[in-house]
Amino acid sequence: MRPLRERIRGPWRVAVTEGSMAPTILPGDWLVVNPLVGRWPAPGAVVVFREPLGETLAIKRVAARAGDQVPFAGGYLTLARGEAWLAADADEKAAAAAGSGPPIDSQRYGPVDVDGLVARVLFRYAPLRRIGRIGRRSRG
Amino acid sequence: MFLTNAVLGFLSPRVTVRAHCDLPCGVYDPEQARIEAESCYKIIEKYAANDDPAYRTRALAIKEERAELVKHHLDVLWHDYFKPEHLEKVPNLHDLFWQATKAASKVKGSTDLADGKKLLDLIDEVDAAWKATGGLEKTRVAGRPS
Repeated sequence: MRPLRERIRGPWRVAVTEGSMAPTILPGDWLVVNPLVGRWPAPGAVVVFREPLGETLAIKRVAARAGDQVPFAGGYLTLARGEAWLAADADEKAAAAAGSGPPIDSQRYGPVDVDGLVARVLFRYAPLRRIGRIGRRSRG
Repeated sequence: MFLTNAVLGFLSPRVTVRAHCDLPCGVYDPEQARIEAESCYKIIEKYAANDDPAYRTRALAIKEERAELVKHHLDVLWHDYFKPEHLEKVPNLHDLFWQATKAASKVKGSTDLADGKKLLDLIDEVDAAWKATGGLEKTRVAGRPS
């Protein structure tokens, strides 16, 4: 976990590109985020984090945390301490219907350690007509 | 107009996060290149105003990285967004991209603010071409944030 001194520097606001969080969050949305979080929020929350492969700054929803079991590669994987399973909102079909490829999430790069956690998404402040809180979504 | 731009500039986030997908999402916007090019421009300014050798070394390294990203984003627009039929609306398209990517290469190695400005101007021309071909309506999900 990054020290508080570093976390306080942000980011506090982010702009989103790409469509894997549709329809909740769309490309071009501007979000207010909380970089002071030190641990993975409960499943359902949307987070900004560094992907384990390539360090891309990405946005996804927490699907499971340490101790939870997630279906993976035909079996199950139990998440270790500090790990979270991050998932896109758009599934492959929805993404394909929108003309984009399969979302890249934990199905691709596996669990993400809390070291990679950057911020928790709080609400959208642009575009104006879609201002609102980005809350938890019940798991389907 | 100036006030609107100032307020928008103040409100717009400095950090971009990816809702990462595999294939082209069909979402293209020269703004992506412009933000990186603005970074280069600001870095050149800060570089000139600072004598600390460690700071200056970092500034140069980061500028190279950002300029490389400008080239990448321009290439994606050129290869993936623009289609042959767009040449009717923007006859100088290929030359424009050639100039713009060359300007990005120049900025990689340059500490001259004029080079940074030239790159921004060329990206604005790409932006105009993107708008002239309906990019704003076709490639963004709900237009640019307003």
